[in-house]
Amino acid sequence: MGALAIKNVTKSFGDTHILKGIDIEIDSGQFLILVGPSGCGKSTLMNIIAGLEAPTTGEVHIGDRMVNNIAPKDRDIAMVFQSYALYPTMNVRQNIAFGMETRGVPKKEQEEIIARVAKMLQMDHLLDRKPSQLSGGQRQRVAMGRALARDPILFLFDEPLSNLDAKLRVEMRTEIKQLHHRLKTTIVYVTHDQIEAMTLGDKIAVMKDGVIQQFGSPQEIYEQPANLFVASFIGSPSMNFIPCHLAEQAGQIGVSLQSEGEARFVPLPNAAKLAGQVGKKVILGLRPEQFDAVENSENSLACKVHLTEPTGPDTMVLTQLNGIEICARLHPRDAKGPGETVRLKPDMTKAVVFDAETETRLA
Amino acid sequence: MSSPTQPAQYGFAERWLPRLVLAPSFLLTLIFIYGFITWNGYLSFTSSRLLPSFNWAGLTQYHALFALERWWVAVKNLFIFGGLFIGGAMAIGIALAILLDQKIRAEGALRTIYLYPMALSFIVTGTAWKWMLNPGLGLEKLMHDWGFTNFTFDWLVNSDMSIYTVVIAGLWQSSGFVMALFLAGLRGIDDSIIKAAQIDGASLPRIYWKIILPALRPVFFSTLMILSHIAIKSFDLVVALTGGGPGFASDVPATFMYAMAFTRGQMGLGAASATMMLMTVAAMVVPYLYSELRRSRNA
Ligand SMILES: Nc1ncnc2c1ncn2[C@@H]1O[C@H](COP(=O)(O)OP(=O)(O)O)[C@@H](O)[C@H]1O
Ligand SMILES: [Mg+2]
Repeated sequence: MGALAIKNVTKSFGDTHILKGIDIEIDSGQFLILVGPSGCGKSTLMNIIAGLEAPTTGEVHIGDRMVNNIAPKDRDIAMVFQSYALYPTMNVRQNIAFGMETRGVPKKEQEEIIARVAKMLQMDHLLDRKPSQLSGGQRQRVAMGRALARDPILFLFDEPLSNLDAKLRVEMRTEIKQLHHRLKTTIVYVTHDQIEAMTLGDKIAVMKDGVIQQFGSPQEIYEQPANLFVASFIGSPSMNFIPCHLAEQAGQIGVSLQSEGEARFVPLPNAAKLAGQVGKKVILGLRPEQFDAVENSENSLACKVHLTEPTGPDTMVLTQLNGIEICARLHPRDAKGPGETVRLKPDMTKAVVFDAETETRLA
Repeated sequence: MSSPTQPAQYGFAERWLPRLVLAPSFLLTLIFIYGFITWNGYLSFTSSRLLPSFNWAGLTQYHALFALERWWVAVKNLFIFGGLFIGGAMAIGIALAILLDQKIRAEGALRTIYLYPMALSFIVTGTAWKWMLNPGLGLEKLMHDWGFTNFTFDWLVNSDMSIYTVVIAGLWQSSGFVMALFLAGLRGIDDSIIKAAQIDGASLPRIYWKIILPALRPVFFSTLMILSHIAIKSFDLVVALTGGGPGFASDVPATFMYAMAFTRGQMGLGAASATMMLMTVAAMVVPYLYSELRRSRNA
């Protein structure tokens, strides 16, 4: 059963078009991530799903209902906000109970639910405190508790971890994932953090300027980005983009890579898709981990190391290809020091090629 | 200022300049506020009449004050005016703020219109309303000219009702100010709190009543303080609007004090009434200041 379907939704404020035709459909129990740079319309889309804003055109379906004309409270959803949005004058217990009171849940049942939620999120000891007496992480927990108390068919999270410090963010991320495994409720989760997107999502929608750039599983998005924007947005450090021209040699289509005065023709996979486009200006996309340090000179290029950035398990090596700064993720054992030369062999089986003009992926 | 860890290069000037700069205003405050409060307190225990004298008279002036019908009229008027003015300005101001908070068009213009009366002095307000409420000049005459000859609105010259005209003019002047204070408070409330409450299913009145207005408690108390202060000190508005009249029907303690001390040659009596007013204000302000100071020290 479809849990959420967004059909050709647009949103304009006066003459500014914020959302330009969004189509998304996910199944029950899936974890959908909306990711994109700030200002791209993620929160606007979220508010439309919640019913806090009306779409200019298009339809929103939750479960098997078309909800365009259904008030937020009747959509059977719960939402967690970036600023937590706790009611400042109420203590934690009252915060959680407020929605249930409005819905007329009997007192006794309310208490049971509060106890269950507090136990699930380990916040029994916080129930009598006011939001101002809580730390950021605790407020976050209360905001989640308030959503859990509703037991909705759809959870909406709008950048719930953005206000936390790095360590807490990672902890809460894991906790949210565990919670999803346990509850199996459908979740729509907004973030501008691509790592959060990759680690949490079953499905990711990458947005830019109110348009979905790509919608797919994390692996699809990572390995087969639809365009230059998606490729650069997902992955850290970012994919290397090397400008070159399509060439043909010995019946194979490939590109020429140069470094330190040495040029080498490397054949491309999926050459079939590139047939007949020889001479075209393209951008070759190679992720940092798609470089290997090798000793022999076959299919490899000598590159001068500019800078190294050890991260512990790997070392990022900054060097140049085709006159462009690139980054290679090497085993610390293979990484040379600045000024030294390392022979890099690109793994072309996972290489992607973008049209230099339209920026869409060719192969 | 001069903490023991202060670096040695801070010389004489650095240490004394702040004190030197503050000294004149400190001295002036000391003399013209606390000095005169003390002097007024002393005068209230003397038999001063037209001019200050130093004949100790004990509590005579207070006995005289409490026996005077005009004083009790003034006190009663203060309660009527204070209660209606504070309650009314608060209610109208909050209502206007909530209405303006609904993201309506032309909000800027409306806000200015409501706030504008605050830019006028009470004298101007009082005079303008005196003309408007004057049966021979203003509203009543207008209605008569339009043909509603049965219409009467003579509160200004009716000794039972004249204090209420002061309330009307006071509300007109101050409601916009209350609105501005509450609007600022409302704007300070995180939008997503309201969204969360909407998803929780609360109606707009319930959101305001249960979540937003309770969060504006500090604004409420500051506004209450300011309004009470205006109410107790109200002098110019009454003088310009009714002059305390008809007779002394719309006297308030401040006009009473002025009349006694400066026009009727009863300086001791005036001083006693001034002391009573000071005590009333102190009874309200001191606990407030105390709680505020304690809160900021705990924070
Ligand atoms: N009520 C509104 N009126 C006009 N513009 C708005 C309104 N709400 C949001 N916007 C604009 O829409 C764009 C997208 O906002 P938002 O959805 O909050 O972005 P995101 O959550 O992706 O950072 C922003 O440029 C913002 O300025
Ligand atoms: Mg946002």
